Amino acid sequence: MHTGEYIHDHFSKIVIRTQVAVALTLLLLLPAANFFYPTDYSMKAGIHGVSAILAIIIGTYLTHRSIPLIKGMHVRLESLRLWVLGATLLNLAGAISGNWIYMRYRGQEGPRDWILAHVPTFHNVLMEFKEFVSLFPFPLMLTATFTLYYYGMPIQHRRDITRFVGITILISWSFLILGFVAGLVLAKLRFV
Amino acid sequence: MINETDDQKLHSGPVVAASLPLLLAFLTLMVSHHISRLTKELDNVVHSYGHWIPGSTGSGPTGSIGSYSGKETLALGVWLVSWLIFHLLWRKQDFPLQAWTRIFVIGLLIITLGFFHPLADPIVLFIADLVGAR
Repeated sequence: MHTGEYIHDHFSKIVIRTQVAVALTLLLLLPAANFFYPTDYSMKAGIHGVSAILAIIIGTYLTHRSIPLIKGMHVRLESLRLWVLGATLLNLAGAISGNWIYMRYRGQEGPRDWILAHVPTFHNVLMEFKEFVSLFPFPLMLTATFTLYYYGMPIQHRRDITRFVGITILISWSFLILGFVAGLVLAKLRFV
Repeated sequence: MINETDDQKLHSGPVVAASLPLLLAFLTLMVSHHISRLTKELDNVVHSYGHWIPGSTGSGPTGSIGSYSGKETLALGVWLVSWLIFHLLWRKQDFPLQAWTRIFVIGLLIITLGFFHPLADPIVLFIADLVGAR
């Protein structure tokens, strides 16, 4: 079944693009401010924050692109798989920078020590959960990327495969937002 | 619009071969994590696999990721090796993807719950007592 795409008119395009530009700039300022925080680890914190929020933004956009995949509708595959590849690389950057900042988290008089002394549950339950589920989005997104490139254009004729890819993107986003929110809570509780 | 000739060329094997290793890798992460929490000796064993990662050892303010590096290494190894093997075995095979998608999602959900300590710890301690690993 071929279903036509909804086409936005000129006015709605201006509204949508302005909203995206404003939201993207302001959201990026949230982790980019980490670069200027008074700590020896501002560089690590800034890189992890920026890569995490970029992964969230692209991951969220991709959840919308995954819906036609799940429904077996026609999609612009060349553009989609480039976005999924980009999301994979950002998730990898998030995981690597996460490892980097995690060292300081566990360091002497670091956030872990403080949290264990004051509110241990935030480390024992939340962080112990977050540090692992945050590793999930990258391999999930890589599997989606692999599938889209491996099958190429004929994938459009296999609704079961496109459905699997769409669901994998949605699951990847779910783990991403879980890890992201947990990370924000911990960073707010005790910054590095 | 279904093109029968194109349709016949595609096998679903590579999809299963790429996604089953994710369950195995996440399971490895979970099992190695719970094992490392039982005793200091077991933690050292898990940690030893991760020594190649920069920042896996050390103390002081800059810290280190400790045995987390070993859990990551084991999971990474299981993921990539099993993906390669399954891909070579199944690239011309077909599996019912609808059923696999369901198993995959439920599997991920169960493994995720395994990282939630209030839920997982009683089960881990029960098994550890059974095998005398504590």
